[in-house]
Amino acid sequence: MITGWQYKPRATLLQRLDPRARLAFYFCFLFSVFMFWDVRVLAGFLALTIVVIRCAGLSWRETGRAWLLVLGFTSFYGLVTLFTGQVGRQFYQTEHVIASWQAPLTLFGWQPVISISTERIYLALSQFARVVDIAAMTVLIPYTFDPALYGITFRRLGLPDKLAFALDLTMRFVPSLGRDFAMTMDAQKARGYELERREGGLLGQVRKLAPLLVPVIIHSIINGEEITDAMDLRAFGTRPRTWLRDLRFAPRDYAVVALSFTMLAVSAGASLLGYGRFWTP
Amino acid sequence: MSIVVSHLSYAYRSHTEQALHDVSAEFRPREVTLIAGASGCGKTTLIRCINGLIPQSYTGGQLSGQIMLFGQDNSKLKLADISQLVGTVLQGPERQIVATEVNGEIAFGLENLGLAREEIRSRIQHTAALLHIEPLLGRQTFLLSDGEKQKVALAGVLAMRPRAILLDEPLASLDPESGHETLSVMRELADAGIAVVIIEHRIEDVLDIKPEHCVYMSAGRVIYDGDARGLLDAADWREMKLPAPVIIRKVRAEKSTTAPVFQPALRGGDSARYTPLIEYQRVGFRYDDGPEVLHDATFAVRPGDIIAVIGPNGAGKTTLLKHAIGLNRPTRGRVLINQQDSAKLSVAQIARTVGYVFQSPSHMLFAPTVREELSFGPHNIGLDPRTIEANITYALSAVSLPDSANLAPLALSFGQQKRISIASILTMNPRVLVMDEPTTGQDYASYTHFMNDIVSRVNAGADRKAGFYEALIFITHDLDLGITYANRIIAVVDGIIVADGAPEDILRDQALLMRSHVRATSLLQANTSLLGRGMRFMPAASLAGMTRVLDDNA
Repeated sequence: MITGWQYKPRATLLQRLDPRARLAFYFCFLFSVFMFWDVRVLAGFLALTIVVIRCAGLSWRETGRAWLLVLGFTSFYGLVTLFTGQVGRQFYQTEHVIASWQAPLTLFGWQPVISISTERIYLALSQFARVVDIAAMTVLIPYTFDPALYGITFRRLGLPDKLAFALDLTMRFVPSLGRDFAMTMDAQKARGYELERREGGLLGQVRKLAPLLVPVIIHSIINGEEITDAMDLRAFGTRPRTWLRDLRFAPRDYAVVALSFTMLAVSAGASLLGYGRFWTP
Repeated sequence: MSIVVSHLSYAYRSHTEQALHDVSAEFRPREVTLIAGASGCGKTTLIRCINGLIPQSYTGGQLSGQIMLFGQDNSKLKLADISQLVGTVLQGPERQIVATEVNGEIAFGLENLGLAREEIRSRIQHTAALLHIEPLLGRQTFLLSDGEKQKVALAGVLAMRPRAILLDEPLASLDPESGHETLSVMRELADAGIAVVIIEHRIEDVLDIKPEHCVYMSAGRVIYDGDARGLLDAADWREMKLPAPVIIRKVRAEKSTTAPVFQPALRGGDSARYTPLIEYQRVGFRYDDGPEVLHDATFAVRPGDIIAVIGPNGAGKTTLLKHAIGLNRPTRGRVLINQQDSAKLSVAQIARTVGYVFQSPSHMLFAPTVREELSFGPHNIGLDPRTIEANITYALSAVSLPDSANLAPLALSFGQQKRISIASILTMNPRVLVMDEPTTGQDYASYTHFMNDIVSRVNAGADRKAGFYEALIFITHDLDLGITYANRIIAVVDGIIVADGAPEDILRDQALLMRSHVRATSLLQANTSLLGRGMRFMPAASLAGMTRVLDDNA
């Protein structure tokens, strides 16, 4: 169950940075990672990710579950890549098979074969590194990004007052939505509802979610109407608004932005010149 | 200069009946005004007209009459201007908080007015000091208690320095102690020169702060406008919860000798001969790696028990009872359901024995018709269609909505939704019915009627009929509900059961009341002073009948 934002004020470099600088870094990192399939380059990004995580000053107690989820998901994804060789065709034409295993059965005349090749191992490794990099950087956000700063961040990135505040408000509703969902789940379980029980086809499965989704959606709509009234009553949207919290770029923020764009430019250049494509020893 | 409402009438768009009929009233600075009345009497509509939501947000209705706000006609003002004259705290503080952080919430209106940052900061400090909430500054709004949220919502409104504030049922989700604190703040504000208007049907609590002015509304009309004493004379004790001595006086003065409304059932002690339906054995509970929030809870629920679980907000009442349905699993000790360890049972299995009704009906209602809503539970636990159909019939009559099977649950009023949510558990034919805050959001007349019905269906006999249950448990922070309906009270404070016994035994103990943060109500005082030791506590109307008999005999 979500019990509010995971964010806590911490005296770390990461949380002292201007949110805009952090966003710039986040997106530059994201696009840079997307450009490479070379496991050696990706290992470099992984090292950078680990440095950033260390800088975040999070304890295992706070974040352990999130990390396990990320690792579990990416490992599964990596294994699928390893065994099926999916997406591999666009990177290599020939495979150096190390081991091959034939299933002792046939399914509709087809005999499953699982073969492990050097190419598949390296593809799986780079797939794993890419997903871990991106997931880990994303997981950091709710823990280290002050939710009270979302609105002003969007405002200073150039969005109009109303839209920036609407995004801020969305952030405020994430934990409420989580709680509504948990309460609805409990209330329906008490009526013998079991999500795990499978019955019916695809349509049946969707219908089975109605007892969960309908109350949560109705709640959001009603909440939305009430919040609109509350905001109207407090003069929202009548004139240009002040934002109590302001953002100011410090020299370190300029440095981070400069480094981020350098990283992106170097990555793009290298990628255009043909470096960092899929690699096997 | 004050708020003057003259000849105000209003009908909502696409409604033929009038929500307000020719309402006139004046709300003055330095006064607390109490507006009392049952659900649907037009109180909330009146507030919306004063603060301009009608007609500026609720468009298309039929509005006539005039409202002057401190000398200015409110139909000529923008919402932003009205908001600096009249502040409104809507019902349910949770639903009007817009910011993730307390400072941001207090600042919100001021930011919208475009004030300078320095000014906003100084107003935040000033308002927080006024409401004694400085320790909350910087906290996340999501993690505040209901009482704290109420004060933060109020701070957000007060920071805009209005000359009047309107509060729509500010006590609804608060326990008596936090409610009392909120009301004391209202008194201070009025004394400081603000016009305070409180809409509330818990009028006994509001009378504590001695409102200078009381208005009683019914069916969109003002029935009474005057001082508090006159309100008590004018109000119907069946419609509104009045102080116990007033009810006793009124019932005695009534000519007819009709029997008092409700006669409570069995005494708690009678149930001891039965086997327990639910048994808590030294239960402790913690969420994940958090601290233990429930300690060493031990008690048994037997047929015939009507248990009120009382205690302040956040004491662990819901955490305690969620163990009875398996939604919480003990981290220490164990819970037996029908003498089976709940650890070995799924929630769906337990649901055949224990029916659990959550506080908020809107978290469970989803079906297009009441019939489908009511068949959801019994279908899940595998009852056959014939039984389900029969159960729907009795469940609807049990909650006094016999003809509603084809209506849409989501289109019903809040009170009716609450009843449907209970009916949808009754169709599963549980042996124990558990209800979390069954009366919130409903006015006195409707919840009294409904609790009378629910409590009269506790049947401890060996031959349990469909539509009856063997035991009833309800969570409440209304002590009077416990006195009136329960034959056993369990008091929970800080995750510990501090008392468990018959109301007449444990509620006479002053030291225990103190420890349980229970505020003695006028009903409790009337019971303890009028009844001899060991006599079963009863509602005020029954007390009146009782003492009349005693007087006649003497």
